[in-house]
Amino acid sequence: MSMAASWTGTSLWRIQASRARALPGLVVLLIGWELAARLLTDAFVLAGPTEVLAYLVEDRALMARALGETLTNAAFGFVIGNVAAIALAAVALAWPRAERVVTGLALLVFCLPLVATGPILRVLYGPGAGPQVTLAALAVYYTTLIPLLVGLRAAPSSWFDLVRSYGRGRFATLVHVRAMASLPYFFAGLQIAAPAAFLGAMVGEFTGAERGMGVLTVQAIRALDVEMTWGLATVATAVSILAYIAIGALGRRVLLDAPPVILAAPAGASRGRLAAWVDAGLVTLIAVGAWWLALLAFGLNPFFAKGPGDVFAALVLDDDAAETRAALAAALGETALFLIPGYLAGLLAGAGLAVLLILVPMIASSAMPLAIALRSVPIVTTAPLVVLLLGRGAVGTIVLVAVMVFFPTFVASLHGLRQAPGQIMDVFDSYAAGPVTRLLRVRIPAMLPAFFAAARMAVPASVLAVTVVEWLATGNGIGSLMAISASLSDYDMLWSSVVLVSVLSALGYAAVGAVERRILGTYAPEQLA
Amino acid sequence: MAPETPPPRIACEGVTKIFAGGTEAVRDVNLTFEPGRTTALVGPSGCGKSTLLRLIAGLETPTSGRIDIAGAPPSETLRHAGLSVAFQDPSLLPWRSVRGNIELALQLARQKAADREVEDLIDLVGLGGFAEARPAALSGGMRQRAAIARALATRPGLLLLDEPFGAVDELTRQQLARDLPKLWEARGTTTLLVTHSVSEAVLLSDRVIVLTPRPAEIVADIAIDLPRPRDPDGLRAPDAAALIDRVVAALSEGMALPDRGIAAQ
Ligand SMILES: Nc1ncnc2c1ncn2[C@@H]1O[C@H](COP(=O)(O)OP(=O)(O)O)[C@@H](O)[C@H]1O
Ligand SMILES: [Mg+2]
Repeated sequence: MSMAASWTGTSLWRIQASRARALPGLVVLLIGWELAARLLTDAFVLAGPTEVLAYLVEDRALMARALGETLTNAAFGFVIGNVAAIALAAVALAWPRAERVVTGLALLVFCLPLVATGPILRVLYGPGAGPQVTLAALAVYYTTLIPLLVGLRAAPSSWFDLVRSYGRGRFATLVHVRAMASLPYFFAGLQIAAPAAFLGAMVGEFTGAERGMGVLTVQAIRALDVEMTWGLATVATAVSILAYIAIGALGRRVLLDAPPVILAAPAGASRGRLAAWVDAGLVTLIAVGAWWLALLAFGLNPFFAKGPGDVFAALVLDDDAAETRAALAAALGETALFLIPGYLAGLLAGAGLAVLLILVPMIASSAMPLAIALRSVPIVTTAPLVVLLLGRGAVGTIVLVAVMVFFPTFVASLHGLRQAPGQIMDVFDSYAAGPVTRLLRVRIPAMLPAFFAAARMAVPASVLAVTVVEWLATGNGIGSLMAISASLSDYDMLWSSVVLVSVLSALGYAAVGAVERRILGTYAPEQLA
Repeated sequence: MAPETPPPRIACEGVTKIFAGGTEAVRDVNLTFEPGRTTALVGPSGCGKSTLLRLIAGLETPTSGRIDIAGAPPSETLRHAGLSVAFQDPSLLPWRSVRGNIELALQLARQKAADREVEDLIDLVGLGGFAEARPAALSGGMRQRAAIARALATRPGLLLLDEPFGAVDELTRQQLARDLPKLWEARGTTTLLVTHSVSEAVLLSDRVIVLTPRPAEIVADIAIDLPRPRDPDGLRAPDAAALIDRVVAALSEGMALPDRGIAAQ
């Protein structure tokens, strides 16, 4: 039922078709920005649109070279990451029993903190574009894999029966049904992946690349160059929105129907608790085995290429293991103080605003396109701005995390709220139920699956946000610890933090999934069927 | 107009289907369908008609008992694309036009058909002019007719129709009731028609099997020896009316069984 609905249900594109309605919002935004800049001229934190434009025109050659470099890396990473996603989806499809292990491993890799994998990849690759491309690929494959997995199953069973009734098997089903049925989901994934690839490439460039937007960003922050910082962030934002819109337009050409807003598969509880633990164990085992084998196979220098044994020694066996653990725990504690409030505030603000807006449909229809566009902004590239504006203290970091979580949550929640099945709404209308009753009884339960999908995906995203700010600006928490370890060549510490952050992110994701199952079990049990 | 594969004889021996959840949908069905004839399965909603059809189509496996199509299990018939199903839900692929959906069946059955032939089928089900339309642009009845055309396209020896006219409007239904039997008679197709409409069953078939409420068991097996071609108006004639009464009486008898229907409510 819910699967076929993607072919008939609410259309993201219908909303995008009304993109023109986003224009007033955009104009207001620009004017507000300019006014704020004029008011704050003496504070040296904010460059207005006119100043940014002047800067971009003046330094256009430099900017164009950097943008070209970053775009090239992002494009390579985008292709590699998406090909990997398709390959992984194919494995999961060909071998359904392996799906949870495949997605578990994929999640773990997705949870790798880019901030630390960046420097590690830098020493592994040496100079060149290797780390940028790899990080771009790592940033995108998961956002494509998950919708693709959902899409490959998003067909009513009668379509599969039809293929079977002509005596044809899984391959024909894949070609004639699954591939086509998954396209809207695939495009939805690609649309999110495009800006993510750009972000990944930029973060890769933070780690001692020679050229690119990331390099300039680091220079701008070091030099406290307000115009350059704002100029770079503006370009990154514009590029991301354009990539998002371009893929949307491509999708509209290729497809009949809109891509659904699916950020992650519903946390299926169909298999038992024991099976889940077995799968989790398998994922850990395979991850550790692959890590160990990779080091062995590439014959990497053990000084910087640490294996699972080294990390275990550093955390447990070595003389200074206790100190290492204490340092990590202290850093994680600091980070949690920013991360958790920011994450919760982002969720609350996203869902809250969506609920408020649905009660005022006029505003909702013009806020939606703007929010969709802004969701595509790699918030992290604006981290320097937030730091400039709000300082290097807690407020800036928390706000950044919250903003990072806010947009996807808001867009997903609004979509969920609007998706309330028409017939049910009609029934409530026929009882003359007021807007609040309908909101509580129909719309919010309909919103929950999308909200939780966003909440799960927001876990790794918020970890990324907090570690980047800590690394680039605030100088505390696990992000800063990783940066310092990288510059001091304390690779034991660096690898240990990578392992810890990835595992904690994956656990956070799983924890949100557990809450999700609880709540959906009560409010929307059909979603778990 | 010979069918691609000769019409098979179908035998069900003690077929029972109990689903994983414990729902028993079909109980101990023993039936033989002669080749080239049209048989209607009639029973109340939810009694297990679709399940029996899907068992014969090889889309479900019986919990016990045996189904045999021309000496082989249904899976074998599936492999030779010797049967087609028009499902209760038209199951048209939304990204293909009416023509595209019909061509899909040919592709799946690894057959070729002249454009003219596809065109004729589209006309036969009254969709002339809608060949390039996507399913979303069609009414429910039109979609069902497209599904019927798709099922006919591969010239199956065995044609399984699951409530094919449920959403089709009355006039078109009468038109189809005139045209379709001509086609499957000319082709010598063995046809199995699931319906809950008694008059439709009597009008279209050579034989009506009446099923009890769930789990489906046979209560009556009534030969319909009315002359062909038949006309919907002909149902008012005394012999047709008598047959309809017999079917209705058998349905009531099934409903009155101690563990089913009214008695079980
Ligand atoms: N795949 C299935 N799993 C479990 N129960 C099923 C399944 N398919 C059908 N049923 C049940 O079997 C019974 C008969 O269904 P069906 O054959 O579709 O009835 P009909 O076509 O006569 O209306 C119903 O109670 C239905 O809920
Ligand atoms: Mg049925």
